[in-house]
Amino acid sequence: MINYIIRRLMLVPLLLFGVTILIFGMLSFLQPVERLALYMRDFPKNDKVVPALIAKYDLDKPIFVQYWNWLVGKVDASGTREGGILFGNFGYSRSASQPVVDLIMRRFPATLELTIWAVAPVVLVGIWLGVQAAVHHNGVIDQAARIFSIVGTSFPTFVFGLLMLMIFYANLQWFPPGRLSDEFSKVVESAAFNRYTYLITFDAILNGRFDIFLDALRHLVMPILTLSYINWATFLRVTRGSMLETLRMEYVTTARAKGLPERDVIYKHAQPNAMLPVVTLAGFSVVGLLAGAVITETVFNYPGIGSAAVRAATSLDVVAMLGFALFDGFILIVAALVVDILYALVDPRVRLS
Amino acid sequence: MRKLFALLSLLVVASMVLAACATAPAATEPAAPPANDNTATEPATTAPEAPTFASADTTTFVVAESEVGIDTLDPALAYDTASAEIIQNTYETLVFYDGDKTDAFVPMLAESWETSADGTVYTFKIRSGVKFHQGGDLTPSDVAYSFQRGLLQGGYSSPQWLLAEPFFGVGNDDISILVDEGASADDREALSANDPATLVAACEKVQAAIVADDAAGTVTMTLAQPWGPFLATIAQTWGSVMDKEWVVENGGWDGSCDTWQNFYGMTSADDPFSTVANGTGPFTLEKFANGEEIVLARFDGYWREPSKLERVVLKQVPEWGTRFSMMQAGDADLATVPSANRSQMDELVGAFQVYDAETNAYGPIQEVCNYDAGALGAAKFTACAAGETGNGGPFLARLGRPGISMDVLLFNWFIASSEESPNPYIGSGALDGNGIPSDFFSDVHIRKGFAYAFDWDTLINDVFSGEAVQSYQLTLPGMPGFFLDTPHYTLDLEKSAEEFKMADVDKDGIPAGEDPEGDVWTAGFRVQMAYNQGNNTRQTIAEILAGNLATVNELFLVETLGLPWPAYLRAQRAKQIPLMTGGWLEDIHDPHNWYQPYTTGTYGGRQSLPDDVKNQFKDILNRGVSETDPAKRAEIYKEANQLYYDLAVGVPLEVATSHGFAQRWVQGVILNPIFPGFYYYTIYKD
Repeated sequence: MINYIIRRLMLVPLLLFGVTILIFGMLSFLQPVERLALYMRDFPKNDKVVPALIAKYDLDKPIFVQYWNWLVGKVDASGTREGGILFGNFGYSRSASQPVVDLIMRRFPATLELTIWAVAPVVLVGIWLGVQAAVHHNGVIDQAARIFSIVGTSFPTFVFGLLMLMIFYANLQWFPPGRLSDEFSKVVESAAFNRYTYLITFDAILNGRFDIFLDALRHLVMPILTLSYINWATFLRVTRGSMLETLRMEYVTTARAKGLPERDVIYKHAQPNAMLPVVTLAGFSVVGLLAGAVITETVFNYPGIGSAAVRAATSLDVVAMLGFALFDGFILIVAALVVDILYALVDPRVRLS
Repeated sequence: MRKLFALLSLLVVASMVLAACATAPAATEPAAPPANDNTATEPATTAPEAPTFASADTTTFVVAESEVGIDTLDPALAYDTASAEIIQNTYETLVFYDGDKTDAFVPMLAESWETSADGTVYTFKIRSGVKFHQGGDLTPSDVAYSFQRGLLQGGYSSPQWLLAEPFFGVGNDDISILVDEGASADDREALSANDPATLVAACEKVQAAIVADDAAGTVTMTLAQPWGPFLATIAQTWGSVMDKEWVVENGGWDGSCDTWQNFYGMTSADDPFSTVANGTGPFTLEKFANGEEIVLARFDGYWREPSKLERVVLKQVPEWGTRFSMMQAGDADLATVPSANRSQMDELVGAFQVYDAETNAYGPIQEVCNYDAGALGAAKFTACAAGETGNGGPFLARLGRPGISMDVLLFNWFIASSEESPNPYIGSGALDGNGIPSDFFSDVHIRKGFAYAFDWDTLINDVFSGEAVQSYQLTLPGMPGFFLDTPHYTLDLEKSAEEFKMADVDKDGIPAGEDPEGDVWTAGFRVQMAYNQGNNTRQTIAEILAGNLATVNELFLVETLGLPWPAYLRAQRAKQIPLMTGGWLEDIHDPHNWYQPYTTGTYGGRQSLPDDVKNQFKDILNRGVSETDPAKRAEIYKEANQLYYDLAVGVPLEVATSHGFAQRWVQGVILNPIFPGFYYYTIYKD
């Protein structure tokens, strides 16, 4: 197992290298003047100075030279390094008025918090629905679960989200949008409130502020329900299909023939083996959530990384978009690694091969 | 594992139930009614008894804004309304607008001021006892430094050209003109390469024009010429006063004439003052999270009575449905409402105010008794008669006030085209029915023919749902030179045909209608009218014109062409676009700020106006801007209106009118159209 993990870890730098090449490749479709944004915080106002700046930053040189500069930056005569993603300089986001790294660091905790709270309802309920549908194959529960999930998957996210807002916020005023009420935002941003994790629900508990914890949770309910409902259909169908296939296996028939209780047959013998495709799906669903649930974050005005990426894209903030793309790529690689390891844990054949 | 899953699920569900049961944050006790409402802007209400509306939190004011980017909070550099709104609430100027009046000013950081007999020297007595947010004392030196810093920072992406002209003279709109006649405009490196003595001399000229006397408590400003709109110019955010010590401490210009060039042509991303603020205004900047929210907190050390609101939260909420829900839930006091979504809000309007052109102000608040979704504008709402009770809707709508931007149909008198660089927008480039010659629009009858072919009613009703008014002139209500009875064009296809028949495009001295060898009337034309893609208003303007001209003469073909914005802008700058719609959002509420760009400035250039026409306007504008008597200025700009109409230089099209919403509890709003946003100092919730 250790060898397997080491082998997979060794692939990570290579994959990251590949991601940077892909992203920089896309960047090369931009005009040299647009690529100046990689090194300069703002576009030059005077068109006459553009050629000199393009030459200064080697933007008229071969692509591999530009790629290298992008990785390690350009050092001027005074020894100041401009750019260089390997040195943590992802550039300056014009749409957010701050360095891209700061923007990601500010927005990511909100997305991470949403993911942490959403992953159980999204994945566990989805799996549970799938198992129930398979166990009651073609029965009332199966049909009801399938209809429920098809409706969910048919709803465009923003329509479902707005519907939730209308019912649970505008009318009932139970679950507001945003991340925290204004009253508590002020407390959280004060020096008296320790930001241990930057995840408000966790920090609230660590600071002994149960009122803030509940308020933060109130703001999470609608995004979680929306993400859950639109994702359940996928989990239900994959789990159901996998379970049905497993339940037809001879070893399951054998288990039943041995007189094992049906509950044990399903949950101890069939379900673990049916989970292999679900692990993959779950892994990539979590990646999707971590990379930012763009529509959900936008509809509920949740200040996560997805809504920041949308803002960057609509503002033509190329530098921020690059930063988000690299960050998403990084998360994807890490998630793929975790999924692979989980796969190996669940299925010994993987690590042995 | 299954037990763990079950436990986790249970935990999540339990948390959510707990969260659902949790009460909303405790509402603060309603604030006592304000002792003095110094806005003097809310007209007396004639509304009958109506349901009461109360905010859950009267101390925090929440605005749900659409996604806007704040470019910079540096008053010397900010040139967009989103930035200016924050600056106007955190910094202050020497003089300020008198309530909702666009042409009257009251003292702010200046206690008083005097103007020399020739109108070139302004002496401001600076208010004492004023503190900056971070504790510094306001001094005349801070005032002088702020203006000097702005002028020296210059740059054409900043608003400094508006201050440069009064100090350096008409046409001298950047400090680089004083250094090397503008050769190094917007290029710090090139400017710095000039002779140091020249650089110092330019700086000293600025410092000589703006002199502080801390002992006397005055600042004297000496202009290059009398400047009618000077107070209007310094009342805007670029006239804000910064704390010199704080600026220097934070990496700004140190006030020396040896170093100013290092700050020339500043960009917002490099400016250390783009995301911080330290003014004397009624609010401090508590939080600046561009793209999320901006929070302003009451400045308790404010030199006037502190604001009634403790906090103002400007939330960036890009999705309209979310903003709508926030308004419905009462969590937002104001919201940005796109014109396409106004009808959703209209249905919930319980009271309304309509602008009265005669008084140039909103009329009384009226309760709504009936709502007609099929009607346009204010006609949607029927006011309650005496004794009737309104529908109790939670929102107040204000409608009908003309805005501060205008669309103008523009003709390019001499379209750029050459063999090396043929113009793609003028077809064959000849009067052969398949194009137009490059001087097509230099014929005044052609321009008038186009002007009479435009249908304002269709534009206003179809595009603006009735919420716009036809512009008769380049001036707006409330400024010298605005006259309701000014000559203007209206749709008249017969007159349009007459004008085309009087044209002489082939320059043979014979009007087109009588020309046996043929001219525009018999040959026809084909021309492209470009607009920036996605701009539906401009597209419709082009389509209206195309349809009507085809009715005037079936040989007249106007093709509408959507271009990506960069291509559109490039073609405009290259003077290639023959026919276009130009838009302008005013900087100051003054006719100079309209006539300058549309005749001698930006658009005059893009229209390739000949020198003799430009000179005629230049003469009028110089007289207008130099005159300080509003009555005399009005007469001068009346000349400009007449000349613009006679020559049909362009055709003013429309000004959209207001249609805004607020919660019924929002009080004390100053509805001054020149404000970049809301001035929260006077606002309270009751």
